[in-house]
Amino acid sequence: MNPQLIQLIMFYAFGAVAVGAALAVITLRNSVHAVLSLVLTFFSVACIWLLAEAEFLAIALIVVYVGAVMVLFLFVVMMLDIKMEQVREGFARYLPVGIIVALVMLAEMIGMIGVRAMGLHVMGEDPAAAAGLSNTAWLGHALYTQFLLPFEIAAIILTVGIVAAVALTLRHRGGVRHQSAAEQVAVDPRTRMRIVKMASETMPTETVPPVAPSQETSP
Amino acid sequence: MPTFNDFLILLPEAYLTVAACVILLMDAFLKGGQRVAIHWLSIIVLLVGAWLVIDGQPATAVSGFSGMFIRDPVAEILKVFSLLTTALMFIYSRGYLRDRNINEGEYYALTLFAVIGIMVLVSAGSLVTVYLGLELLTLSSYALVALNRDSKLSSEAAIKYFVLGALASGMLLYGMSMIYGATHSLDLATILHVQNVEWRNLMLFGVVFAIVGIGFKLGAAPFHMWIPDVYQGAPTAVTIFIGTAQKIAAFGMAYRLLDSGLGAYAHEWRMMLAVLAVLSLAIGNLLAIVQTNLKRLLAYSTISHMGFLLLGLVEANPAGYSAAMFYAISYALTSAAAFGIILAMSRAGFECEEIDDFKGLNQRSPWFAFLMMLVMFSLAGVPPLFGFFGKLLVLQSAIDAGFLWLAVVGAVFAIIGLYYYLRVVKVMYFDAPVEGTDVRAQPDMPLRFVLSLNALALLALGIAWGPLFAWCQRAFGITA
Amino acid sequence: MLAEYWPVLLFIAVAIGLGIALLVIGLLAGTSRPTAEKLAPYECGFEAFEDARMKFDVRYYLIAILFIIFDLEIAFLFPWATVFSDLGVIALVEMGLFLLLLVIGFAYVWKKGALEWE
Repeated sequence: MNPQLIQLIMFYAFGAVAVGAALAVITLRNSVHAVLSLVLTFFSVACIWLLAEAEFLAIALIVVYVGAVMVLFLFVVMMLDIKMEQVREGFARYLPVGIIVALVMLAEMIGMIGVRAMGLHVMGEDPAAAAGLSNTAWLGHALYTQFLLPFEIAAIILTVGIVAAVALTLRHRGGVRHQSAAEQVAVDPRTRMRIVKMASETMPTETVPPVAPSQETSP
Repeated sequence: MPTFNDFLILLPEAYLTVAACVILLMDAFLKGGQRVAIHWLSIIVLLVGAWLVIDGQPATAVSGFSGMFIRDPVAEILKVFSLLTTALMFIYSRGYLRDRNINEGEYYALTLFAVIGIMVLVSAGSLVTVYLGLELLTLSSYALVALNRDSKLSSEAAIKYFVLGALASGMLLYGMSMIYGATHSLDLATILHVQNVEWRNLMLFGVVFAIVGIGFKLGAAPFHMWIPDVYQGAPTAVTIFIGTAQKIAAFGMAYRLLDSGLGAYAHEWRMMLAVLAVLSLAIGNLLAIVQTNLKRLLAYSTISHMGFLLLGLVEANPAGYSAAMFYAISYALTSAAAFGIILAMSRAGFECEEIDDFKGLNQRSPWFAFLMMLVMFSLAGVPPLFGFFGKLLVLQSAIDAGFLWLAVVGAVFAIIGLYYYLRVVKVMYFDAPVEGTDVRAQPDMPLRFVLSLNALALLALGIAWGPLFAWCQRAFGITA
Repeated sequence: MLAEYWPVLLFIAVAIGLGIALLVIGLLAGTSRPTAEKLAPYECGFEAFEDARMKFDVRYYLIAILFIIFDLEIAFLFPWATVFSDLGVIALVEMGLFLLLLVIGFAYVWKKGALEWE
């Protein structure tokens, strides 16, 4: 079979999965299913990028989006009021969807690497390979010379993200009891305890024995 | 490889970034009474920034960072007025923030970051810098709108703003990817000079999506849906930012994308802008008539003003751009004063934003009623105020562009618009104050003084509008 | 070049195979006599009065956002590491500026107490 044709078929297959999963994201009623479909969408797109030899972007998509952003999405889904009826039906309901997502991912990966292992290059001349660099190094050269300004602006945008998240969600609640180890260690005994020396006193009646000098503590 | 010269071009932005970080850290580390310093320092930072922009301005346009950042006279004017209107906003907002327990430190820091975004946006020489400047500006703005966390209205406005804003950013990005696909370049100057674009239709799609993004940022109809809710829901101290500096930024973005990048397609985008202009004029002016909330009224008034601004862009030549820039500046200064008065009249637990709250203001604070009258007349375009000359110039430019019908539409709607601005004036001067209310300006001397200067400047700039307009014209290379 | 991912594929295959194998062995070799009491959720000995799935605190969201932001920062470090030796000192300055901005954000977060769980 023509290798170019295989690659084209793979591209359309990944594309179809990505589009189908994206459709599922917006049509599924259960938000956890929707999040899982979104994972599949990202994964399919990452495969397409790998097909186009944009390896760094593919890996970044997996690490940042699937790894971090989807965790956030799950948190958000769990923060919302999900209909308890659906959730109560339990883990078994998510399992088939989860397994299907996982299986399709696996199939995609096998297809991807399988096709690639035949050593095909159909996506046009790759400038990184032409320059004898890896994809990541090529990206690094562009990012840290020509695209330096956007790179530094990205740092400002990330900082704004931090500030905005803190400004909008951080709330110090009053009346929370907690232990402060630093304060406990820093305590000086002299401020906490007072030793009062006093002369022994005798009680009016002889039968009671004399009281020993007392140590008085104050809290 | 970036050189030292590149960083020299970027000096005002770099300075503002450092300043914003310092203010952020001051917010985290200062306690109680010392935090007042943040307010005054932020204002000084902006003024020094404006000075740096003017002082270091090279005689001709220079670009740095591989053409990604352009420092030219157009960017200079837009930056100076963004910085100045933001400084006005800080002065007006102090009491408002304190009364409502809104975290001031983050307000100042986020606004400064947003201003950096504006400065990058109006100096953009590449699609990447356009997009990143825009994102920096809008991301900060979403957070600012939601800053009053205990207000449901504020949170609702922020969600609407965020969802629609993200959609518009996505559209813009989609258009940029088409432009890149058709021209193989991200650099605006290169895009402008690409001959024989392979897929002309792809390029036209890109232009359409770019117009959608610009229309959203301007708040021009039919992309205006977010404007009324956000204006009303956002804390007034933030609405003033969306109504002033952001409009200047939106003009800058339109100029950079449409003229510097897509100038070869002017024939196509002029018609699109003309449609947007007519829709904005109609929707803005007609819906403003029925509003009872002053912030909402100003929101619809913004939509109509953006229609006027588009009249200047429609001409697609330096004369039109300079008229539109003059209009953006006149609108920003007038709108700053309008929201300044709302801020000055509001107290803890009382938002002075219903038109009824202004009933009989003349009997209670005649001076503020007079200032409000100046502002309303300037918004309406009554001679000899600042707003009048803005309108005159953009109408003139629409006629020069051969869009006589558009100018007629603009003039008709300007007259319709007169009605609702004059209604506010009528309420202040001829209605009796509502019993049991006490609407007075805050006894905040810096606010009163600067607000008075701001409103009187509308009169002064209306009488002596020549130098400012000449400055705008010189920026676009017109020597009169 | 993509053929270099062959070990990754092997790794994934082994991981999945091992996971399935362990489950299957447990299922086959173990005794399983479930009763209603055994399968009931255990909550300190008394009847469960609340569903296990409840709303998450918004503080998790803050942690997740901060995690994403610093995760992204790391993503920028990978291409930098590959070209660092080619670009020399200027690369160090560039990344220094980038990290400095985020460190300022980090100092802000820390001082604001956003990392405290209370």
